[in-house]
Amino acid sequence: MLENSEEQPAPVRVVSEIIKEYIDALGPIWIEGELSQINSRRDFTYMVLRDSSVDMSISIACPSGIFNKTKVAENARIKIFAKPSWYTKNGSVSFWVREIKEVGVGELLARLEMLKNLLAAEGLFDAKRKVSLPLLPNKVGLICGRNSDAERDVLENAKRRWPAVQFETREVQVQGSDAVIQVSAALKELEADPDVDVIIITRGGGSFEDLLPFSDEGLVRLVASCKTPIVSAIGHEKDSPLLDLVADYRASTPTDAGKKVVPDLNEELQFIDALRTRAERTLTARLDRESDRIKSLFDRRIAFVHRLKLAVEDLQHLLARVRSLSPQSTLERGYAVVQRSDGKAVRKAKDVATGDSVRIRLAEDSVSATID
Amino acid sequence: MASKSEKISYEVAREELTKVVEQLEAGSATLEESLKLWERGEELAQICQELLDGAKAKITKDASDAI
Repeated sequence: MLENSEEQPAPVRVVSEIIKEYIDALGPIWIEGELSQINSRRDFTYMVLRDSSVDMSISIACPSGIFNKTKVAENARIKIFAKPSWYTKNGSVSFWVREIKEVGVGELLARLEMLKNLLAAEGLFDAKRKVSLPLLPNKVGLICGRNSDAERDVLENAKRRWPAVQFETREVQVQGSDAVIQVSAALKELEADPDVDVIIITRGGGSFEDLLPFSDEGLVRLVASCKTPIVSAIGHEKDSPLLDLVADYRASTPTDAGKKVVPDLNEELQFIDALRTRAERTLTARLDRESDRIKSLFDRRIAFVHRLKLAVEDLQHLLARVRSLSPQSTLERGYAVVQRSDGKAVRKAKDVATGDSVRIRLAEDSVSATID
Repeated sequence: MASKSEKISYEVAREELTKVVEQLEAGSATLEESLKLWERGEELAQICQELLDGAKAKITKDASDAI
C-alpha cells in the first residue's frame, strides 16, 4: 500500500501507474450502446459509445482494420467485446475493442418481448393502474418533435373541439440517441407543473428503430410513476411501443390524442344547457303547482261564500212565498175562517152537526162557538 | 353560499349540477329547498360555462400580455 499523508503526497505518475495496474488487470467484457463521434485514423478508429437511456458514455478505440470490416455507421446500436485500459498520459479510460457487432432487429425484437413480459409481470400495464383523463384540463402538456406534423395535428384537433385549450409544449428530440433523455427530462418537468393535468407524448410514424426510444425501460418506468395521466400517440395504429401499454390512454394517432384530451365545446355547452333547462322547468312546474294550490284554496272560499249567499236568498224567497200564501191579508179584510175541532175548515153546512164546537179564526185572534 | 370565484374543477361542478337537477326533479324537497337547489344549479351552470369559455384563462393571459 502506498505511503500517503498530507506531508507526503504521491506524485501524479505514481498514482496513475497504480490505477493503470488496477485497470489493466480487468478482463474484456461485452458492452452495448449507441455509436457516435467516429474518428477514423490510419491505425485506430476512436469512437464514443453512448448509453441509450441516460446521458453516459465511454470512449472506445478499435483497430481500423477490424472497424472497417463491420461497416457500422453513426448511431448504430452495437455491442463490443472490449477491455478497459488506462492512459497514463492524460488519466483517461478507453476501451480497446477486440470484436464489434451491430445489434440486429431480430435481437432487439426478442429483447423488447422479454422486457414487455417482465414489465407486464410487474403489473405496470394493468388496467387498474390507469388514471382517467380530466374532462376539462387546465393545461395540456405536450412532448413532441420540433415543428412536427404530430404537434400540429394535436394542437389543431384539440383547438377545433375546445378553442380555449392551453398547451405547455416541450419540443424535444423524438428519435436517435438523445430521445429517451430529452423526452424523460420534459416529462419530469411537465409532471412537476401543477397546472398540467394531462400529458401527451407524441411523434409521427417511423421505422422500428426510430420508435425504439418509446420502448425504453427507463422511460416506461418513468411514465408508470407519473401521477399525471399520460396519453401516448406514437406513430400509426400498427406501431406499438411499450409506451402505449403503460400510458393511461393509447391514442391511435396524434389527431386522436388531440381530440381525446379536451371535450367538444358545443356538446358540453348543450349538456350544461339541458341541465339548466331541466332545473328551470322543474322549478317552474313546482311553483305553478304551489300557486294553483293557493288559488284553489281561495276559490273554495269564494265558492263557500257564494253558496252561503244563495242559501240566504233562497230562504228569503221562501219566506216571501210563505207570506204571500198566508190568509192573513184576507182575514184583515174582515173575513173569518171557521175550523172544526179537527182543524178542518168548514166549507158547507154539512161539514158540521148541531152541538159541534168550532173555532172562528179572525185577523187579530180567534173565538170559540157552538153550532145550534 | 359559495362565491362566484369558487375554485372548483369542471368535473366536480358538472357532476354536482347533474345531482342537483336530479334532486330537484325527484320533487321530495320542500319549496324552500327547491329554490335553494335551483339557485345552486344556476351557480354551477355558470361556473361550468365560465370554465368552458376559458374566461379565467383569458383574463390571466390578457394580464400577462399587458405587462
